[in-house]
Amino acid sequence: MLELSAFETIEKIRSRELTAKEVLEAHLAQIKKVDGVPGKLDFGELSETEATKVHAFITLTEDLAYQQAEEVDRQLDNGIDPGILAGVPITVKDIFCVKDTLTTAGSRILSNFKAPYTATSVNRLQKAGGVILGKVNLDEFTYGSSSESSAFQPCPRNPWDTSRVTGGSSGGSTASVAAYESMLSLGTDTGGSIRQPAAFCGVVGLKPTYGRVSRYGLIAFGSSLDCPGPVARSVKDAALMLQAMAGADPRDSTASNRPVPDYLSALQKDIRGMRIGLSPDYFRNSMPDLETGEIIYEPIQKEIKQAVYDAAQVLASLGAEIIEDVPMPNTIHGVSVYFVISRVEAASNLHRFDGVKYGYRTAEKVRDLHELYRHTRVEGLGHQPKLRILMGMYVSAAQYSAQYYQRALKVRRMIRDDFEAIFDKKGSYHLDALLTPTTPSTAFELGAVYGNTVMMQCADQFTVPANHAGIPGISIPAGFDQTGLPIGIQLLGPDYREDLIMRIGHAYEQATQTAEWRQTKPRVVRELEE
Amino acid sequence: MTDYEAVIGLETHIQLNTKTKIFCSCKADSWGDEPNTNICPVCSGLPGVLPVLNMEAAHKGALLAAAMHAKVQPLSYFDRKNYFYPDLPKGYQITQYDQPIGVGGYFDLPMPEGYTRHIRIHKLHLEEDAGKTKIINDERYVDFNRCGVPLVEMVTEPDFRSGEEAAQYLVRLRQLLRWIGVSEADMEKGHLRCDANVSIRLKGSEVLNTKTEIKNVNSIDAVRNAITNEIDRQIKQVEAGQKIESWTLDWDADTGTLEKMRSKETEADYRYFREPDLLPLVLKPEWIEQVKSSLPELPLARRQRFVDQFALSLYDAEILTTDKALSDYFEVTLMHYQGEAKVISNWMINDLMRMLNDLGLSANELKLTPERLAAIIKLIDAGQINTSTGKSLLKKVQETDQEPGEIVRKEGLGLVGNEEALRAIVESIIAQNTTEVASFREGKEGLIGWFLGQVMRQTGGKADPKLARQILLELLKQG
Amino acid sequence: MPVEHISPQLFEKLVDLAAIALDPSESEYLRSELNNQLTAIKELMAIELDESLIPALHGVPFESADRQAMREDALLPYATPEDIISQAPQSEDNYIVVPDIPHSELD
Repeated sequence: MLELSAFETIEKIRSRELTAKEVLEAHLAQIKKVDGVPGKLDFGELSETEATKVHAFITLTEDLAYQQAEEVDRQLDNGIDPGILAGVPITVKDIFCVKDTLTTAGSRILSNFKAPYTATSVNRLQKAGGVILGKVNLDEFTYGSSSESSAFQPCPRNPWDTSRVTGGSSGGSTASVAAYESMLSLGTDTGGSIRQPAAFCGVVGLKPTYGRVSRYGLIAFGSSLDCPGPVARSVKDAALMLQAMAGADPRDSTASNRPVPDYLSALQKDIRGMRIGLSPDYFRNSMPDLETGEIIYEPIQKEIKQAVYDAAQVLASLGAEIIEDVPMPNTIHGVSVYFVISRVEAASNLHRFDGVKYGYRTAEKVRDLHELYRHTRVEGLGHQPKLRILMGMYVSAAQYSAQYYQRALKVRRMIRDDFEAIFDKKGSYHLDALLTPTTPSTAFELGAVYGNTVMMQCADQFTVPANHAGIPGISIPAGFDQTGLPIGIQLLGPDYREDLIMRIGHAYEQATQTAEWRQTKPRVVRELEE
Repeated sequence: MTDYEAVIGLETHIQLNTKTKIFCSCKADSWGDEPNTNICPVCSGLPGVLPVLNMEAAHKGALLAAAMHAKVQPLSYFDRKNYFYPDLPKGYQITQYDQPIGVGGYFDLPMPEGYTRHIRIHKLHLEEDAGKTKIINDERYVDFNRCGVPLVEMVTEPDFRSGEEAAQYLVRLRQLLRWIGVSEADMEKGHLRCDANVSIRLKGSEVLNTKTEIKNVNSIDAVRNAITNEIDRQIKQVEAGQKIESWTLDWDADTGTLEKMRSKETEADYRYFREPDLLPLVLKPEWIEQVKSSLPELPLARRQRFVDQFALSLYDAEILTTDKALSDYFEVTLMHYQGEAKVISNWMINDLMRMLNDLGLSANELKLTPERLAAIIKLIDAGQINTSTGKSLLKKVQETDQEPGEIVRKEGLGLVGNEEALRAIVESIIAQNTTEVASFREGKEGLIGWFLGQVMRQTGGKADPKLARQILLELLKQG
Repeated sequence: MPVEHISPQLFEKLVDLAAIALDPSESEYLRSELNNQLTAIKELMAIELDESLIPALHGVPFESADRQAMREDALLPYATPEDIISQAPQSEDNYIVVPDIPHSELD
C-alpha cells in the first residue's frame, strides 16, 4: 500500500477500495518503524540504533491526521468530493505556520511557538483532502544544504545511507517521502532547498516559478527567492500536489494572478520535437579558493555527468531534440550573488525574532530592552542564522551596499538574462528546457562539510540560478552512483512553464519505468523487509 | 548687532483617514480602543506574514501630492527601514526611501502680516505607522493597535524663516487635509505630527549651517514656541562663540523648554533596501489625471475667489472658507438668495456659525439647509417678517426640520403689515401715553424708539417696523 | 593567510547592530567564516557591469497578467487578537511588556 503512488491511492480511496484511515495507519506504522526519535532541543548522544533511523520528524500530529482522514472517509460516505488529494498523507516542512501546531523553523527561538494561523499553501492542501501527518525537520530557518543545522536533533538522515546527509534545507521532506513515511511533502526552495535534497534522497522535487504558489504563512528566508513546492516519488504526484496549491492569493502581493493550467493533462502530451539544451557551464564544479578568492574548477562527479547524458539519450529516443553547448556564462556567479541577496533579506526577516512578541525569551536577568534582545538572540539563534544576519548587515550597510548589494542585484539580472536568451522563442536556441545535473556530487557524509559554510553553499551552485531568475526547476531521480547513492537530474524551464518540465520529467520516468535501478529501495526500507 | 535669519524645514507625518490600515485589513482608526484589540498577524509582525497595499492609501497619498502641486510619480517603490524598537513588530518599517509617490511641489503660505512665503516641498511618501508604548515602573507597555496605520510623510525644503510661519503652515495644512478629505488632521489624536529642522545663518547668506532637529512638536503652539526658542538658543550660542551641534531635541510644552534627546537611532544604519514582498507601485497616467481633476477648489484659491467674485473682505472670506462644508454652504445659499453676498456673509458669520458651534455640527449636517436660510432672508427682504423673527427662525427650522414659510404660517409670525390694524394700534398707544406724546411733540424726537418699542410689544414683535414708524411719525406730528 | 575583510572592531559593530551578545569563541568562528565567505564572493567585484543593467529585485518580471488588483479599503477585522497576545512571553492588561530602553544621558 505504501508503494502506491499518490495518484493511485486517491483512486483507490475514492473507489472505497481503501479508506483514508487505513492509508494513514499504514504510514503511521512505517513512521514508527523507520523514523526513530523526533528532533528535539538539547538532544544528547545518538545511540547506534538511532543512527540507523531517518529522524525526519519534529512534530507528529497524529490526532489531527486521524481527524482529517476520518473526515475524508466521512465525506465520501456522504457523496461529497473531498478534493483532488483525497486522503493522501503529507508532511510539512516546519517552516510553514500551521494553526495551533508547533511551528519551530528548526530553531530554539521558535521552539515554543504555536502558530495562530495556517499558511495558504497548507490550507489548500488540507482543503483538497490532504492528510497532514506533521512537521518535518530542516536546516534552522532553512539556512543550509544538509539539514544538519537544525536546533532539533537528531537531524534527518539519508534513508539510502544513514551515515549521510539528506541534503537541505528540506531534508525532512525528502527523507520522509523517500522512506515511505509520507506520500507527499511540502518543502521550500530558496537556493535549491527542494531540488538538492530531492536529488540526494532519490525523489522528485519541484521548485515552481516564483509567485506560482503563495508564500503567505511561510516563515521567510529570502523573500524574493523563496518558493513553496512539492516533494513526491513521481512527477505525476508532484503535478497533483502543485495543482492543489498553485494560484493567486490576496494575502500575497507577489503571488501571480495568472490562471493555473491543468498540469495533469499537460503530462499526457509526448515530447516529440521539444528542444532540450545541455550547457557546459553546468558540468563544472566551481569552488572558490579561500586564500585568493580565485575560482577553482573541477569536473563534477562522473556518474552524475553520465546520468545526465544517459537521460539526454532517453529523451532523444522519445523524439526530443538535444542541443549541446548552450552557453550560460553567468551560472558561475549564482553562489556569490546568493551570498549577498539572500543574506540581506534574511537579516531583515530575522529582525522580528527578539523575544518580545512570541517565541523564546531569555531567562537571564536583563537590565534593559537591549540586553533582552541580545541575550534572546544569541541563545535562541544558531550559527547559521547568526552568520546570515551578520553577512546581510555587512553587505547592505550604507558604506558597502553599492559594492555588494547593488552590484549583486545587477548580476542577478545577468543570470536572468542567460535564461531569457535561451528560452526566447525568437532567439537562436529557443529551448523548451535546459537539462542539467542537480548537484555536483551525491550525498556527502554527516559532518563532512558542516562548518565550512562556503563549501556548503557551493552544493547549490546548479540549483541557485533558477532562484535568481525565478524560473521553475525540477529534480528527478536518474539512477545511482557506484556506492548506491541517488543521482538527480534537473530540468529548468521558462516562467510559469511547470507543465513543460513536468512533461519531460514524466516522459523520462515512463521510459525508464522498468530500469533496474528503479527497483531498488532505500536501505532503511530494505532492512525492514529483510 | 549681527542680523541672523532662521532657516527652518518641516517634516510632517499625516495619518490618512482610510477605513483600513495600509498593509492589512484592520481598522485604521483605533483611537480609544483597548490595547492590542485592533491587530492581526500581519500588523503584529508574526512569522510568515506578508503586506498587501491598500489602494485607498495610494489614492489619498496621490491626492495630497496633487494638492501640493507635487508630481505624482507613475512608478514608486517601497523600502524597508531596519531597526529595533518595541513599537516596531517586524523590526523594520515599510516606507518609501528614494523613489516616493510625490516629488517636488510647493505651498504659497499667506501670513497674517500680509506677505506670502513660498514653501517648496521636497517630497511626499507613504509609510506605515508604528505602535505606541508607555512607561510604567521602568517597564514598557506596548500596544500594536496603531501599527500599520497609513501615513504620508511630507518634507519641505528649509524655506520657513520663523516659528510663526511654521505654525501658520500647520494651520493651513490642517485645513487643506480636511478640505480634500485625506485626514481628520486632529493634532491631539496624533493625526498630524511634526518635526522641525532649525538652523541659523547671517542674513543674506545662502549657506546652510548645522541644524538641530526638534521632534514631536504636536500642537500649533508647540511648533511656534519650540522653534522660536531654538532660534534664540542658537543665536545665543553663536554670539557666545560656540558651535551649533546637530542635536536632536525634545520640546517640553509644560515647562516651555528644549531638552537634548539621545535619538533612538543616532548612528543607526537603516540599511534601506527595496521591500521584496511588495511590487513597485504603478499608477497609470489616466488614473493620475483623474485624481488631479478630482481635486476640489482648494481653500486659499476659494478664499481669493470669494474676495474677487463677491467683493467680500479678506477677513470674511477667510472665515467662510474655514472648512469646505461651510464655504459650500455659503455658495449654495447665495445661489438661492440671488442677492448681495455680504448679506449672506453677515448672517453666516454672526448667527449660523454660533449655531454650528453650539450644536457641534458641520455645515453640511444642518437641517437648516442653504435653501432654507436663503428663504428666511428673503422673507425679511419681502417685509413678511422682521429681522428678529428671522433670527429666531434659524433655531426653529433646525429644531423642527420644517420650511421657514410653514413655521411662519403655523405660528402666525408674519409681520403685521396691515395698515389699518397698525393704525389702530398706534392710535391706542398715543391715546394711552399722553405724557410721552407731549414730550415728543415738545421736541424729544428720540422717543420715537420708545414708541416703536410699544408698538412691537403690542404686536408681539410682529409689526412691520418701517410702516409702524411711518404711521407713528404721521400721527405724533399731527397733534 | 585569509583576508581580513572584517576586522574584529568592525565585527563588533555588526554584532551590536544585529543585537546579538556573542561570546569570544563564537565570535571568532563566525568572523572567520564571514571573511571566508567574503573572499569566496570576491569574484563578484570583478565582473564587468554594463551601464544599462537594471537591478533585478525579483527574477520574474511581474507583467500585468501577474499583478493582482490592489486591495480594496474594506474592513476585515481579525477575530481573535487574543491568540496573538497570548504568544507574548510577558503581557499585562493586554499590553505586551518589556524592560525599558536604556536611558540616555542628558547634558
